[in-house]
Amino acid sequence: MHKEISDFLNRSVSGADAQVISATVGDSAIYVNAKQILKVCEALKNSPEYQMNVLQVITAADYLAAAATETTPAVEERIELTYVIASFIKNSELLIKVKLPRGDKNNLPQIDSICSIWKSANWQEREAFDMMGVKFNGHPDHRRILCPDDWVGHPLRKDYVAMESYNGMTIYPEDKLNFKEREFGVRQKTDVKGAVTSISNYELGAKNIN
Amino acid sequence: MDVNQEKLKTELLTVNMGPQHPATHGVLRVEIKTDSEIVAEAIPHIGYLHRCKEKHSESLDYRGVIPYVDRMDYLAAMNMELGYCLTIEKMLGTEVPKRATYIRMVCAELQRIASHLMFFGTYAIDLGAFSPFLYAFQKREEILRLFEEFSGARLLYNYIWIGGVWNDITDKHIERILKFCDELSEELKKYDTLVSQNRIFIERTANVGLISQTLCYEYGLTGPLLRGSGIKWDLRKNRPYCFYDKMEFEIPVGLGEKGTLGDCYDRYSVRMREMIESIKIIRQCLQGIEAGPVMGKVAKVLKVPAGEIYFRTECPRGELGYHLISDGSKKPYRLKVKSSCFTHVSVLPELAPGQMIADLVATIGSIDIVLGEVDR
Repeated sequence: MHKEISDFLNRSVSGADAQVISATVGDSAIYVNAKQILKVCEALKNSPEYQMNVLQVITAADYLAAAATETTPAVEERIELTYVIASFIKNSELLIKVKLPRGDKNNLPQIDSICSIWKSANWQEREAFDMMGVKFNGHPDHRRILCPDDWVGHPLRKDYVAMESYNGMTIYPEDKLNFKEREFGVRQKTDVKGAVTSISNYELGAKNIN
Repeated sequence: MDVNQEKLKTELLTVNMGPQHPATHGVLRVEIKTDSEIVAEAIPHIGYLHRCKEKHSESLDYRGVIPYVDRMDYLAAMNMELGYCLTIEKMLGTEVPKRATYIRMVCAELQRIASHLMFFGTYAIDLGAFSPFLYAFQKREEILRLFEEFSGARLLYNYIWIGGVWNDITDKHIERILKFCDELSEELKKYDTLVSQNRIFIERTANVGLISQTLCYEYGLTGPLLRGSGIKWDLRKNRPYCFYDKMEFEIPVGLGEKGTLGDCYDRYSVRMREMIESIKIIRQCLQGIEAGPVMGKVAKVLKVPAGEIYFRTECPRGELGYHLISDGSKKPYRLKVKSSCFTHVSVLPELAPGQMIADLVATIGSIDIVLGEVDR
Protein backbone atom coordinates (compact mmCIF):
# COMPACT_ATOMS: atom_id res chain seq x y z
CA MET A 1 0.00 0.00 0.00
CA HIS A 2 2.84 2.38 0.84
CA LYS A 3 4.44 1.87 -2.57
CA GLU A 4 1.22 2.85 -4.35
CA ILE A 5 0.80 5.95 -2.22
CA SER A 6 4.36 7.10 -2.77
CA ASP A 7 3.93 6.60 -6.52
CA PHE A 8 0.71 8.57 -6.35
CA LEU A 9 2.44 11.39 -4.47
CA ASN A 10 5.37 11.53 -6.87
CA ARG A 11 2.90 11.65 -9.74
CA SER A 12 0.57 14.33 -8.41
CA VAL A 13 2.93 16.62 -6.46
CA SER A 14 6.04 17.81 -8.22
CA GLY A 15 9.09 17.74 -5.98
CA ALA A 16 7.43 15.58 -3.33
CA ASP A 17 10.39 13.14 -3.34
CA ALA A 18 8.24 10.49 -1.70
CA GLN A 19 10.30 7.59 -0.43
CA VAL A 20 9.04 4.50 1.33
CA ILE A 21 10.90 3.25 4.38
CA SER A 22 9.47 -0.21 4.85
CA ALA A 23 9.92 -1.62 8.30
CA THR A 24 10.06 -5.25 9.35
CA VAL A 25 8.90 -4.39 12.86
CA GLY A 26 6.13 -1.88 13.40
CA ASP A 27 4.80 0.57 10.85
CA SER A 28 6.27 1.66 7.55
CA ALA A 29 6.43 5.34 6.72
CA ILE A 30 6.79 7.63 3.73
CA TYR A 31 9.39 10.39 3.74
CA VAL A 32 8.49 13.48 1.76
CA ASN A 33 10.16 16.78 1.02
CA ALA A 34 9.44 19.22 3.86
CA LYS A 35 8.80 22.06 1.41
CA GLN A 36 5.92 20.21 -0.23
CA ILE A 37 4.10 19.06 2.92
CA LEU A 38 1.09 21.30 2.30
CA LYS A 39 0.57 19.96 -1.20
CA VAL A 40 1.18 16.36 -0.15
CA CYS A 41 -1.48 16.59 2.57
CA GLU A 42 -3.89 18.30 0.23
CA ALA A 43 -3.41 15.61 -2.41
CA LEU A 44 -3.98 12.81 0.10
CA LYS A 45 -7.09 14.44 1.52
CA ASN A 46 -8.69 15.17 -1.82
CA SER A 47 -7.77 11.98 -3.68
CA PRO A 48 -10.87 9.84 -4.21
CA GLU A 49 -8.72 6.74 -3.85
CA TYR A 50 -7.28 7.34 -0.37
CA GLN A 51 -9.64 9.92 1.22
CA MET A 52 -7.42 10.63 4.22
CA ASN A 53 -9.95 12.74 6.03
CA VAL A 54 -8.56 12.91 9.56
CA LEU A 55 -5.27 14.18 10.91
CA GLN A 56 -4.61 12.13 14.01
CA VAL A 57 -1.45 13.54 15.46
CA ILE A 58 1.78 15.37 14.67
CA THR A 59 4.79 13.89 16.45
CA ALA A 60 8.10 15.65 16.58
CA ALA A 61 11.24 13.74 17.48
CA ASP A 62 14.67 15.18 18.07
CA TYR A 63 17.86 13.43 16.95
CA LEU A 64 21.31 14.52 18.03
CA ALA A 65 24.25 13.69 15.83
CA ALA A 66 25.96 10.44 16.79
CA ALA A 67 28.77 8.49 15.21
CA ALA A 68 28.23 4.89 14.19
CA THR A 69 29.09 2.23 16.75
CA GLU A 70 29.33 -1.53 16.44
CA THR A 71 25.64 -2.07 17.07
CA THR A 72 23.97 1.14 15.93
CA PRO A 73 24.26 3.07 12.67
CA ALA A 74 25.27 6.73 12.57
CA VAL A 75 22.56 9.24 13.40
CA GLU A 76 22.11 12.36 11.37
CA GLU A 77 21.35 15.56 13.27
CA ARG A 78 17.73 16.46 12.58
CA ILE A 79 14.20 16.98 13.78
CA GLU A 80 11.64 14.61 12.36
CA LEU A 81 7.98 15.45 12.13
CA THR A 82 5.57 12.57 11.69
CA TYR A 83 2.10 13.34 10.44
CA VAL A 84 -0.19 10.46 11.31
CA ILE A 85 -3.18 10.73 9.02
CA ALA A 86 -6.06 8.33 8.77
CA SER A 87 -9.07 7.65 6.66
CA PHE A 88 -12.27 6.90 8.52
CA ILE A 89 -13.93 6.07 5.20
CA LYS A 90 -11.36 3.60 3.87
CA ASN A 91 -10.26 2.49 7.36
CA SER A 92 -6.55 3.05 6.82
CA GLU A 93 -3.78 5.08 8.34
CA LEU A 94 -0.50 6.46 7.09
CA LEU A 95 2.68 7.91 8.56
CA ILE A 96 4.13 10.81 6.58
CA LYS A 97 7.54 11.96 7.73
CA VAL A 98 9.63 15.03 7.02
CA LYS A 99 13.16 15.91 8.05
CA LEU A 100 14.08 19.37 9.25
CA PRO A 101 17.41 20.85 10.34
CA ARG A 102 17.67 21.29 14.11
CA GLY A 103 18.49 24.98 13.92
CA ASP A 104 19.34 26.97 17.05
CA LYS A 105 17.72 29.35 19.52
CA ASN A 106 17.43 32.28 17.13
CA ASN A 107 16.89 30.23 14.04
CA LEU A 108 14.18 27.66 14.63
CA PRO A 109 13.39 25.09 11.95
CA GLN A 110 10.49 26.15 9.77
CA ILE A 111 7.76 24.35 7.87
CA ASP A 112 4.42 25.27 6.34
CA SER A 113 1.40 24.99 8.58
CA ILE A 114 -1.35 22.61 7.44
CA CYS A 115 -4.10 24.29 9.45
CA SER A 116 -5.84 25.21 6.23
CA ILE A 117 -6.33 21.52 5.44
CA TRP A 118 -7.23 20.06 8.83
CA LYS A 119 -8.31 22.28 11.69
CA SER A 120 -7.05 19.72 14.18
CA ALA A 121 -3.53 20.67 13.07
CA ASN A 122 -3.92 23.96 14.95
CA TRP A 123 -3.33 22.56 18.43
CA GLN A 124 -1.04 19.76 17.28
CA GLU A 125 1.30 22.29 15.68
CA ARG A 126 1.17 24.51 18.72
CA GLU A 127 2.26 21.55 20.80
CA ALA A 128 5.08 20.72 18.42
CA PHE A 129 6.24 24.34 18.61
CA ASP A 130 6.03 24.40 22.40
CA MET A 131 7.78 21.09 22.99
CA MET A 132 10.23 20.89 20.08
CA GLY A 133 10.62 24.41 18.77
CA VAL A 134 9.41 23.96 15.23
CA LYS A 135 8.04 27.08 13.62
CA PHE A 136 4.93 26.69 11.47
CA ASN A 137 4.58 29.34 8.78
CA GLY A 138 1.04 30.58 8.28
CA HIS A 139 -0.31 29.27 11.57
CA PRO A 140 -3.29 31.39 12.69
CA ASP A 141 -2.48 31.33 16.42
CA HIS A 142 1.20 30.58 16.89
CA ARG A 143 1.62 30.42 20.68
CA ARG A 144 2.86 27.99 23.27
CA ILE A 145 0.18 25.66 24.54
CA LEU A 146 1.26 23.56 27.51
CA CYS A 147 4.09 25.66 28.93
CA PRO A 148 3.55 29.29 30.02
CA ASP A 149 4.06 31.93 27.34
CA ASP A 150 7.25 33.26 28.96
CA TRP A 151 8.95 29.88 29.26
CA VAL A 152 12.42 29.62 27.76
CA GLY A 153 13.50 26.61 25.73
CA HIS A 154 11.71 23.64 24.24
CA PRO A 155 11.51 20.83 26.80
CA LEU A 156 11.37 17.73 24.63
CA ARG A 157 14.60 18.49 22.81
CA LYS A 158 17.27 16.03 23.80
CA ASP A 159 19.77 18.74 24.78
CA TYR A 160 17.26 20.78 26.77
CA VAL A 161 18.42 22.35 30.00
CA ALA A 162 15.72 23.94 32.14
CA MET A 163 16.24 27.54 33.19
CA GLU A 164 17.46 28.15 36.72
CA SER A 165 14.45 30.00 38.01
CA TYR A 166 11.04 30.95 36.76
CA ASN A 167 9.23 33.99 38.22
CA GLY A 168 11.44 33.85 41.31
CA MET A 169 10.92 30.13 41.89
CA THR A 170 13.94 27.86 41.77
CA ILE A 171 13.31 25.05 39.30
CA TYR A 172 15.65 22.44 40.80
CA PRO A 173 15.85 23.20 44.55
CA GLU A 174 19.00 21.58 45.93
CA ASP A 175 17.30 19.94 48.89
CA LYS A 176 14.96 18.07 46.59
CA LEU A 177 17.56 16.74 44.18
CA ASN A 178 18.98 13.28 44.34
CA PHE A 179 22.63 13.68 43.44
CA LYS A 180 23.54 10.04 43.74
CA GLU A 181 23.04 8.99 40.15
CA ARG A 182 22.35 5.31 40.05
CA GLU A 183 22.93 3.00 37.17
CA PHE A 184 19.90 1.68 35.33
CA GLY A 185 18.40 -1.49 36.83
CA VAL A 186 20.40 -1.38 40.03
CA ARG A 187 18.61 -2.20 43.26
CA GLN A 188 19.93 -0.95 46.59
CA LYS A 189 19.31 -2.53 49.94
CA THR A 190 19.29 -0.23 52.92
CA ASP A 191 19.40 -0.89 56.65
CA VAL A 192 16.96 0.61 59.16
CA LYS A 193 18.76 3.95 59.25
CA GLY A 194 18.80 4.25 55.48
CA ALA A 195 22.47 3.49 54.81
CA VAL A 196 23.14 1.39 51.73
CA THR A 197 24.21 -2.13 52.66
CA SER A 198 24.34 -3.85 49.30
CA ILE A 199 23.80 -3.12 45.63
CA SER A 200 22.58 -5.79 43.28
CA ASN A 201 22.05 -5.73 39.56
CA TYR A 202 19.09 -7.26 37.77
CA GLU A 203 21.04 -8.04 34.67
CA LEU A 204 23.72 -9.98 36.48
CA GLY A 205 21.09 -12.27 37.92
CA ALA A 206 20.89 -10.42 41.24
CA LYS A 207 24.57 -11.08 41.84
CA ASN A 208 26.03 -9.05 44.67
CA ILE A 209 28.58 -6.67 43.29
CA ASN A 210 29.24 -4.89 46.53
CA MET B 1 -34.64 55.13 22.92
CA ASP B 2 -32.33 55.55 19.96
CA VAL B 3 -30.54 58.42 21.61
CA ASN B 4 -29.84 56.36 24.70
CA GLN B 5 -28.35 53.55 22.70
CA GLU B 6 -25.98 55.89 20.98
CA LYS B 7 -24.70 57.20 24.30
CA LEU B 8 -24.47 53.76 25.77
CA LYS B 9 -20.99 52.35 25.55
CA THR B 10 -21.10 48.65 24.75
CA GLU B 11 -18.21 46.27 24.74
CA LEU B 12 -17.65 42.59 25.25
CA LEU B 13 -17.06 41.50 28.81
CA THR B 14 -14.22 39.07 29.43
CA VAL B 15 -14.93 36.40 32.01
CA ASN B 16 -12.54 33.71 33.15
CA MET B 17 -14.23 30.37 33.63
CA GLY B 18 -11.80 28.34 35.68
CA PRO B 19 -9.12 27.13 36.30
CA GLN B 20 -10.99 26.39 39.53
CA HIS B 21 -14.53 25.88 38.38
CA PRO B 22 -16.65 22.81 39.10
CA ALA B 23 -18.07 22.66 35.58
CA THR B 24 -14.70 22.38 33.89
CA HIS B 25 -13.99 19.00 35.55
CA GLY B 26 -10.44 19.84 36.46
CA VAL B 27 -8.15 22.75 35.79
CA LEU B 28 -9.29 24.03 32.43
CA ARG B 29 -9.47 27.78 31.98
CA VAL B 30 -11.85 29.09 29.35
CA GLU B 31 -11.55 32.77 28.59
CA ILE B 32 -15.04 33.82 27.56
CA LYS B 33 -15.93 37.08 25.87
CA THR B 34 -19.60 37.67 26.56
CA ASP B 35 -22.28 39.96 25.31
CA SER B 36 -24.51 39.89 28.40
CA GLU B 37 -25.45 36.20 28.71
CA ILE B 38 -24.39 35.21 25.21
CA VAL B 39 -20.90 33.93 24.52
CA ALA B 40 -19.17 35.67 21.63
CA GLU B 41 -15.84 33.89 21.86
CA ALA B 42 -14.30 31.20 24.02
CA ILE B 43 -10.56 30.55 24.21
CA PRO B 44 -9.46 27.47 26.16
CA HIS B 45 -6.18 27.71 28.04
CA ILE B 46 -4.65 24.40 29.05
CA GLY B 47 -1.42 23.27 30.66
CA TYR B 48 -2.28 23.62 34.34
CA LEU B 49 -1.85 19.89 34.87
CA HIS B 50 1.15 19.38 32.59
CA ARG B 51 3.40 16.79 34.22
CA CYS B 52 5.90 16.19 31.39
CA LYS B 53 4.78 12.60 30.89
CA GLU B 54 6.43 12.34 27.50
CA LYS B 55 9.74 13.63 28.85
CA HIS B 56 9.55 11.30 31.84
CA SER B 57 9.00 8.22 29.72
CA GLU B 58 12.24 8.93 27.86
CA SER B 59 14.18 8.19 31.03
CA LEU B 60 12.22 5.16 32.23
CA ASP B 61 12.38 1.57 31.10
CA TYR B 62 9.43 0.16 29.20
CA ARG B 63 7.79 -1.38 32.26
CA GLY B 64 8.35 1.73 34.33
CA VAL B 65 6.20 3.83 32.01
CA ILE B 66 2.97 1.98 32.92
CA PRO B 67 2.29 3.79 36.23
CA TYR B 68 2.80 7.12 34.48
CA VAL B 69 0.39 6.11 31.75
CA ASP B 70 -2.24 5.50 34.48
CA ARG B 71 -2.02 9.09 35.55
CA MET B 72 -3.01 10.51 32.20
CA ASP B 73 -6.69 9.64 32.22
CA TYR B 74 -7.12 8.80 35.87
CA LEU B 75 -10.78 7.89 35.38
CA ALA B 76 -9.97 5.22 32.81
CA ALA B 77 -6.55 4.00 33.86
CA MET B 78 -7.13 0.42 32.72
CA ASN B 79 -7.76 1.53 29.15
CA MET B 80 -4.62 3.65 29.16
CA GLU B 81 -2.55 0.67 30.34
CA LEU B 82 -4.15 -1.66 27.84
CA GLY B 83 -3.30 0.63 24.93
CA TYR B 84 0.30 1.03 26.03
CA CYS B 85 0.87 -2.68 26.64
CA LEU B 86 -0.68 -3.64 23.31
CA THR B 87 1.65 -1.17 21.57
CA ILE B 88 4.77 -2.62 23.14
CA GLU B 89 3.58 -6.20 22.66
CA LYS B 90 2.96 -5.57 18.99
CA MET B 91 6.54 -4.35 18.62
CA LEU B 92 7.93 -7.28 20.59
CA GLY B 93 5.65 -9.87 19.01
CA THR B 94 4.72 -11.20 22.44
CA GLU B 95 1.95 -13.74 22.66
CA VAL B 96 -0.48 -12.97 25.45
CA PRO B 97 -2.22 -15.95 27.10
CA LYS B 98 -5.93 -16.31 26.40
CA ARG B 99 -6.99 -15.93 30.00
CA ALA B 100 -4.99 -12.73 30.36
CA THR B 101 -6.61 -11.24 27.27
CA TYR B 102 -10.07 -12.03 28.60
CA ILE B 103 -9.23 -10.49 31.97
CA ARG B 104 -7.89 -7.43 30.19
CA MET B 105 -11.09 -7.05 28.20
CA VAL B 106 -13.26 -7.47 31.29
CA CYS B 107 -11.21 -4.82 33.09
CA ALA B 108 -11.32 -2.45 30.12
CA GLU B 109 -15.09 -2.76 29.80
CA LEU B 110 -15.69 -2.43 33.54
CA GLN B 111 -13.53 0.68 33.45
CA ARG B 112 -15.55 2.02 30.54
CA ILE B 113 -18.71 1.57 32.59
CA ALA B 114 -17.10 3.26 35.60
CA SER B 115 -16.00 6.17 33.45
CA HIS B 116 -19.41 6.58 31.83
CA LEU B 117 -21.09 6.39 35.25
CA MET B 118 -18.80 9.19 36.36
CA PHE B 119 -19.85 11.17 33.30
CA PHE B 120 -23.51 10.47 34.03
CA GLY B 121 -23.21 11.69 37.60
CA THR B 122 -21.15 14.81 36.98
CA TYR B 123 -23.10 15.79 33.90
CA ALA B 124 -26.31 15.75 35.90
CA ILE B 125 -24.60 17.92 38.54
CA ASP B 126 -23.51 20.36 35.83
CA LEU B 127 -27.15 20.71 34.84
CA GLY B 128 -28.38 21.11 38.39
CA ALA B 129 -29.52 17.63 39.42
CA PHE B 130 -27.74 16.23 42.42
CA SER B 131 -29.25 12.80 43.11
CA PRO B 132 -28.09 10.98 39.91
CA PHE B 133 -24.54 11.61 41.11
CA LEU B 134 -25.21 9.55 44.24
CA TYR B 135 -26.76 6.68 42.28
CA ALA B 136 -23.87 6.64 39.83
CA PHE B 137 -21.20 6.66 42.53
CA GLN B 138 -22.89 3.81 44.35
CA LYS B 139 -22.45 1.59 41.30
CA ARG B 140 -19.03 2.94 40.42
CA GLU B 141 -17.87 2.08 43.92
CA GLU B 142 -18.58 -1.60 43.27
CA ILE B 143 -16.31 -1.56 40.22
CA LEU B 144 -13.57 0.21 42.15
CA ARG B 145 -13.83 -2.40 44.92
CA LEU B 146 -13.41 -5.17 42.36
CA PHE B 147 -10.36 -3.44 40.90
CA GLU B 148 -8.98 -2.96 44.38
CA GLU B 149 -9.12 -6.71 44.89
CA PHE B 150 -7.53 -7.40 41.50
CA SER B 151 -4.70 -4.92 41.75
CA GLY B 152 -4.51 -3.41 45.23
CA ALA B 153 -5.37 0.09 44.09
CA ARG B 154 -8.62 1.89 43.56
CA LEU B 155 -7.78 4.40 40.89
CA LEU B 156 -4.27 3.95 39.46
CA TYR B 157 -3.82 0.23 39.04
CA ASN B 158 -0.59 -0.75 37.29
CA TYR B 159 -2.47 -4.02 36.74
CA ILE B 160 -2.08 -4.73 33.03
CA TRP B 161 1.56 -5.53 32.37
CA ILE B 162 3.52 -6.16 29.23
CA GLY B 163 2.81 -9.80 28.43
CA GLY B 164 -0.35 -10.25 30.46
CA VAL B 165 -1.82 -9.08 33.72
CA TRP B 166 -0.20 -8.85 37.12
CA ASN B 167 -2.47 -11.20 39.02
CA ASP B 168 -5.14 -13.77 38.33
CA ILE B 169 -8.78 -13.30 39.25
CA THR B 170 -10.77 -15.97 41.08
CA ASP B 171 -14.12 -17.64 40.37
CA LYS B 172 -15.64 -15.62 43.18
CA HIS B 173 -14.71 -12.44 41.37
CA ILE B 174 -16.34 -13.74 38.22
CA GLU B 175 -19.55 -14.44 40.14
CA ARG B 176 -19.45 -10.94 41.58
CA ILE B 177 -18.91 -9.35 38.19
CA LEU B 178 -21.86 -11.27 36.74
CA LYS B 179 -24.04 -10.23 39.67
CA PHE B 180 -22.93 -6.65 39.17
CA CYS B 181 -23.85 -6.83 35.48
CA ASP B 182 -27.37 -8.02 36.34
CA GLU B 183 -27.80 -5.28 38.89
CA LEU B 184 -26.48 -2.59 36.59
CA SER B 185 -28.86 -3.59 33.79
CA GLU B 186 -31.74 -2.99 36.19
CA GLU B 187 -30.17 0.21 37.48
CA LEU B 188 -29.74 1.63 33.98
CA LYS B 189 -33.51 1.46 33.49
CA LYS B 190 -33.87 3.52 36.65
CA TYR B 191 -31.39 6.11 35.32
CA ASP B 192 -33.41 6.25 32.15
CA THR B 193 -36.60 7.31 33.93
CA LEU B 194 -34.68 9.50 36.35
CA VAL B 195 -32.66 11.52 33.86
CA SER B 196 -33.02 10.53 30.20
CA GLN B 197 -36.77 11.11 30.12
CA ASN B 198 -36.63 14.09 32.44
CA ARG B 199 -38.27 17.16 30.91
CA ILE B 200 -35.76 19.63 32.37
CA PHE B 201 -32.79 17.53 31.30
CA ILE B 202 -34.09 17.24 27.74
CA GLU B 203 -34.73 20.98 27.54
CA ARG B 204 -31.20 21.70 28.72
CA THR B 205 -29.42 19.30 26.34
CA ALA B 206 -31.48 18.88 23.17
CA ASN B 207 -30.43 21.17 20.30
CA VAL B 208 -27.46 22.43 22.33
CA GLY B 209 -23.83 22.25 21.21
CA LEU B 210 -24.37 20.80 17.76
CA ILE B 211 -21.39 19.05 16.16
CA SER B 212 -21.80 18.34 12.47
CA GLN B 213 -20.18 15.38 10.73
CA THR B 214 -17.81 17.57 8.71
CA LEU B 215 -16.69 19.29 11.92
CA CYS B 216 -15.97 15.87 13.41
CA TYR B 217 -13.59 14.98 10.60
CA GLU B 218 -12.04 18.47 10.43
CA TYR B 219 -11.11 18.35 14.09
CA GLY B 220 -10.41 14.61 14.24
CA LEU B 221 -13.00 13.98 16.93
CA THR B 222 -13.43 10.39 18.04
CA GLY B 223 -15.35 8.26 20.48
CA PRO B 224 -18.81 9.25 21.72
CA LEU B 225 -18.54 12.64 20.01
CA LEU B 226 -18.13 11.03 16.62
CA ARG B 227 -20.83 8.46 17.28
CA GLY B 228 -23.11 11.12 18.73
CA SER B 229 -22.99 12.83 15.36
CA GLY B 230 -24.27 9.69 13.71
CA ILE B 231 -21.04 8.20 12.37
CA LYS B 232 -20.78 4.49 13.01
CA TRP B 233 -17.12 4.20 13.97
CA ASP B 234 -15.71 2.17 16.80
CA LEU B 235 -12.18 0.81 16.79
CA ARG B 236 -13.34 -2.28 18.64
CA LYS B 237 -15.36 -3.16 15.54
CA ASN B 238 -13.47 -1.43 12.74
CA ARG B 239 -9.90 -2.34 13.74
CA PRO B 240 -10.35 -5.08 16.33
CA TYR B 241 -7.71 -5.78 18.92
CA CYS B 242 -7.77 -8.37 21.75
CA PHE B 243 -10.77 -10.63 21.10
CA TYR B 244 -13.23 -7.90 20.19
CA ASP B 245 -13.70 -9.45 16.77
CA LYS B 246 -15.28 -12.51 18.41
CA MET B 247 -17.71 -10.48 20.47
CA GLU B 248 -21.24 -9.63 19.48
CA PHE B 249 -22.21 -6.06 20.24
CA GLU B 250 -23.70 -3.03 18.58
CA ILE B 251 -22.18 0.40 18.01
CA PRO B 252 -24.66 2.89 19.44
CA VAL B 253 -24.94 6.06 17.35
CA GLY B 254 -26.77 9.33 17.89
CA LEU B 255 -30.28 9.35 16.50
CA GLY B 256 -31.31 12.92 17.18
CA GLU B 257 -34.24 11.50 19.12
CA LYS B 258 -35.02 14.58 21.22
CA GLY B 259 -33.51 17.31 19.08
CA THR B 260 -31.07 17.61 16.18
CA LEU B 261 -28.45 15.00 15.33
CA GLY B 262 -25.16 15.70 17.11
CA ASP B 263 -26.46 17.64 20.09
CA CYS B 264 -25.57 17.16 23.74
CA TYR B 265 -28.45 14.77 24.30
CA ASP B 266 -27.16 12.46 21.57
CA ARG B 267 -23.71 12.29 23.11
CA TYR B 268 -25.28 11.57 26.48
CA SER B 269 -27.52 8.86 25.07
CA VAL B 270 -24.65 7.23 23.16
CA ARG B 271 -22.71 6.84 26.41
CA MET B 272 -25.70 5.41 28.25
CA ARG B 273 -26.30 2.84 25.51
CA GLU B 274 -22.59 2.02 25.38
CA MET B 275 -22.82 0.79 28.96
CA ILE B 276 -25.43 -1.78 27.91
CA GLU B 277 -23.07 -2.96 25.14
CA SER B 278 -20.19 -3.18 27.60
CA ILE B 279 -22.28 -5.42 29.84
CA LYS B 280 -22.88 -7.68 26.84
CA ILE B 281 -19.14 -7.87 26.14
CA ILE B 282 -18.32 -8.65 29.78
CA ARG B 283 -20.84 -11.50 29.85
CA GLN B 284 -19.39 -13.00 26.67
CA CYS B 285 -15.84 -12.67 28.01
CA LEU B 286 -16.73 -14.42 31.24
CA GLN B 287 -18.36 -17.22 29.27
CA GLY B 288 -15.28 -17.73 27.14
CA ILE B 289 -12.73 -17.43 29.94
CA GLU B 290 -10.73 -20.58 30.63
CA ALA B 291 -8.10 -21.66 33.11
CA GLY B 292 -4.49 -20.97 32.23
CA PRO B 293 -1.55 -18.71 32.88
CA VAL B 294 -2.01 -14.94 32.99
CA MET B 295 1.50 -13.90 32.02
CA GLY B 296 3.25 -14.59 28.73
CA LYS B 297 6.95 -15.07 28.20
CA VAL B 298 8.70 -11.72 28.27
CA ALA B 299 12.42 -11.05 28.59
CA LYS B 300 13.57 -9.79 31.98
CA VAL B 301 15.26 -6.78 30.47
CA LEU B 302 12.96 -5.48 27.78
CA LYS B 303 14.58 -4.23 24.62
CA VAL B 304 12.16 -3.17 21.93
CA PRO B 305 13.58 -3.52 18.41
CA ALA B 306 14.37 -0.27 16.60
CA GLY B 307 11.51 1.11 14.60
CA GLU B 308 8.29 2.93 15.13
CA ILE B 309 4.65 2.14 15.56
CA TYR B 310 1.37 3.98 15.85
CA PHE B 311 -1.29 1.98 17.62
CA ARG B 312 -4.71 3.14 18.68
CA THR B 313 -7.37 1.73 20.95
CA GLU B 314 -10.88 2.78 21.86
CA CYS B 315 -11.05 4.41 25.27
CA PRO B 316 -14.18 5.70 27.02
CA ARG B 317 -13.43 9.22 25.84
CA GLY B 318 -12.29 8.44 22.34
CA GLU B 319 -9.34 7.04 20.49
CA LEU B 320 -6.06 6.81 22.30
CA GLY B 321 -3.00 6.46 20.11
CA TYR B 322 0.56 5.74 21.13
CA HIS B 323 3.30 6.70 18.72
CA LEU B 324 6.40 4.91 19.86
CA ILE B 325 9.81 5.53 18.33
CA SER B 326 12.37 3.04 19.54
CA ASP B 327 16.10 3.00 18.98
CA GLY B 328 16.57 -0.52 20.23
CA SER B 329 17.53 0.38 23.79
CA LYS B 330 15.86 -0.25 27.15
CA LYS B 331 14.00 3.06 27.14
CA PRO B 332 11.56 4.55 24.63
CA TYR B 333 13.30 7.11 22.40
CA ARG B 334 10.07 9.05 22.00
CA LEU B 335 6.61 8.17 23.20
CA LYS B 336 3.99 10.53 21.89
CA VAL B 337 0.45 10.16 23.14
CA LYS B 338 -2.45 11.08 20.93
CA SER B 339 -5.01 11.88 23.54
CA SER B 340 -8.60 12.22 22.48
CA CYS B 341 -9.38 14.87 25.11
CA PHE B 342 -6.68 17.17 23.74
CA THR B 343 -8.37 17.15 20.33
CA HIS B 344 -11.81 17.44 21.87
CA VAL B 345 -10.97 20.62 23.81
CA SER B 346 -9.70 22.23 20.63
CA VAL B 347 -13.21 22.13 19.16
CA LEU B 348 -14.64 24.34 21.95
CA PRO B 349 -13.94 27.70 20.21
CA GLU B 350 -16.00 26.39 17.31
CA LEU B 351 -19.00 25.39 19.45
CA ALA B 352 -19.17 28.26 21.91
CA PRO B 353 -20.09 31.38 19.87
CA GLY B 354 -23.78 32.21 20.14
CA GLN B 355 -24.45 30.00 23.15
CA MET B 356 -25.68 31.06 26.56
CA ILE B 357 -23.09 30.66 29.32
CA ALA B 358 -25.19 27.94 30.96
CA ASP B 359 -25.33 26.07 27.65
CA LEU B 360 -21.55 26.28 27.37
CA VAL B 361 -21.39 24.41 30.67
CA ALA B 362 -23.67 21.75 29.20
CA THR B 363 -21.46 21.55 26.10
CA ILE B 364 -18.19 21.19 28.03
CA GLY B 365 -19.83 18.54 30.20
CA SER B 366 -21.06 16.57 27.20
CA ILE B 367 -17.56 16.51 25.67
CA ASP B 368 -16.47 14.78 28.90
CA ILE B 369 -12.84 15.77 29.25
CA VAL B 370 -10.29 14.70 31.80
CA LEU B 371 -7.62 17.32 32.18
CA GLY B 372 -4.99 14.77 33.07
CA GLU B 373 -5.21 13.45 29.54
CA VAL B 374 -5.39 16.88 27.94
CA ASP B 375 -2.19 18.13 29.55
CA ARG B 376 -0.38 14.81 30.10
